[in-house]
Amino acid sequence: MNGHVPFGVADYFWDEASSRQSLLDQLMETFRGWGYGDVIPPMFEFDSTLSAQYDDRLRSGMYRFLDRDGSTLSLRPEFTTSVARLVGARLHDWPMPQRFCYGGSVFRYLEPQAGRQREFWQVGGELIGAPSPAADAEILALTATALKAAGLKEFRQIVGHIRYYRCLLEALALNPQQTQQLQWALERKSEPLLDDFLRDTPLRTGQRQAVETLPQLIGGNVDGILSLAERHIQNRGMHEALQNLRRIVDALLGYDILDSLIIDLTEIRNLGYYTGVSFEAITPGLGTAVASGGRYDDLVGRFGPSQPAVGVALGVDRLLVARQRQDEADAANGRRRPQAALALSHGSPDALAQVQKLRQAGLHIQVDVNNWTVDSAIAYAAETDVRDVLVWEDGFQHHRRDDQGDYVLLGQLEESRLSGWTAACREELPT
Amino acid sequence: MTSKIAAPYRGPAESIDQSQPNMVSSRTEQSLLFALPKGRLAQDSLSFLAKAGLSIPTDTESRKLILPAADGSTGFVMAKPRDVPTYVEHGAADLGICGLDVVRETDRAVYEPLLLPFGHCRLSVAGPADEAAGPPGKSSNSDDLAVKPASSFNLPGTPLRYMSQPRIATEYPRLTRQFFADRGVNAEIITLGGSVELGPILGLADLIVDVVQTGTTLRMNGLVEIRTILESQAVLVVNRASYQLKAAEINRIIERMRLLTT
Repeated sequence: MNGHVPFGVADYFWDEASSRQSLLDQLMETFRGWGYGDVIPPMFEFDSTLSAQYDDRLRSGMYRFLDRDGSTLSLRPEFTTSVARLVGARLHDWPMPQRFCYGGSVFRYLEPQAGRQREFWQVGGELIGAPSPAADAEILALTATALKAAGLKEFRQIVGHIRYYRCLLEALALNPQQTQQLQWALERKSEPLLDDFLRDTPLRTGQRQAVETLPQLIGGNVDGILSLAERHIQNRGMHEALQNLRRIVDALLGYDILDSLIIDLTEIRNLGYYTGVSFEAITPGLGTAVASGGRYDDLVGRFGPSQPAVGVALGVDRLLVARQRQDEADAANGRRRPQAALALSHGSPDALAQVQKLRQAGLHIQVDVNNWTVDSAIAYAAETDVRDVLVWEDGFQHHRRDDQGDYVLLGQLEESRLSGWTAACREELPT
Repeated sequence: MTSKIAAPYRGPAESIDQSQPNMVSSRTEQSLLFALPKGRLAQDSLSFLAKAGLSIPTDTESRKLILPAADGSTGFVMAKPRDVPTYVEHGAADLGICGLDVVRETDRAVYEPLLLPFGHCRLSVAGPADEAAGPPGKSSNSDDLAVKPASSFNLPGTPLRYMSQPRIATEYPRLTRQFFADRGVNAEIITLGGSVELGPILGLADLIVDVVQTGTTLRMNGLVEIRTILESQAVLVVNRASYQLKAAEINRIIERMRLLTT
């Protein structure tokens, strides 16, 4: 036994574990506040269920293994497909729309990077059974609210519409090689590659202009970009995509998040199953998205009656990195949260009864189970950052660490004194 | 009850230095951070930036890791060329300049809006010249070729797919593997950190894949180019988040550079 763990997974403990857990709780609570109900899908499913709708990149990144009966299973690489399966196969006759939220580990066999191990945490929500722009707007607004709840001060949501690009491809009638060339140029936002594509590909004037205009369809001027895009539509689908996007933006008016919106009609690297609006949330100092989502109207129908759907997933690990980088200027020193108070019962049943009462009142208390002397207990408390030590002498005597790090006797325990510390244990780190 | 239990055990403590290089605070002084490659492209990059009218650091020989521009608007990190796309992908730097060969090899998720007019070179497959030209001492008719071991089968014009298991020394394992895999060849790749020309000389490899500018180094080591994998030149790379979050400043830089590239 050498104590190693496999590449791509990690232990989280102490403050890191509790701040993860509380961020997850906080995000879930945000979703619940908008009427999203909890769902806990299985951690592994049939590979055929999970991988059917993904693009090659995600499919090649799935953990697969064999069940004893020989069927291929996969660890979930995200939650959306599982929720779609649940609704499509089992809850299809329950009144629509249905709102679900979830949080937990997902697994991808990719190179670990900042804020992403091979096992990482996602929190997200799915709004199923609503085709309207109002539903897309709700998911966008909910994402912004969740990011604020996570403590991010500066972020942008980059909104695109996969239908605009797909319909453009349809209009251009490219061969697979040309499609690849265009996709490469757009994914890298590379002007030289786009020029190469235009040079190598015979196009009609209108089509050529539509492609030439693509790099300008990025930015915060929503109206301007949508109008410009409208001038270069090649077919009905492109027009509908733009109209849909405009209605979504209109539906966002009441939510006060328009300032954080950036339109990018060339953003096309995304999960294979999106059919409409798609978006990513980005934040300074992190090259990758902290949240991504979009509309997927074809996914639920694979498992039952077809239903329109839209959803978002937030990366908990990346949010933590982003928040840490953002807060580094605030010097996070001394932000370790107080540990639970340590109580020495000296074997007295009365002491334990008293501890139970304090716990019921919401205080966090750990009980000495080694029958320590007061000195040993204080030594332990000093090393593990416990600020309050309670010693039973027909009632708890309260020792409190002072600013010099010495433990001083305050006298008989007064609950109010303790609550100031231990109540803080339950709160999220000060923002 | 009274038995005294030893003070709590604590494992051997390791002193953990929590302080990490504080990237953010050192960056707040400048609005943009630019990663530039040390070495071959360093001087060209700086003079290109200067020509584009951007403020560059006055003292590039300084041992400081982050150099401020003369007017303080931008910070510069001099990084190993291979690290530039990594810095930019992770957002440690907003922009960077490096060779297209490095961008393709490292395959990082960055935007690459512009090719820049310097650092031209090509990534090529090269092999021993005597094999290719036919050594004067040996007869090299086609019958002879047929019985040669496949691994030395590298005449110019001979399809590489005829080679069974070429051993290839390179600093570019990803591009090399991809290039040969596209031709159905499962090459054995030997990754080296530099001086890959030594590979064939020492019998470590049959071929090399390396950057060629003038070809002098190859000739001096008795090697000839067999195929070109990639035409490379300097490229501007941009962090995906910065591209949107700092669009105004970055577009200004791109505009200025574009004037020099077209």
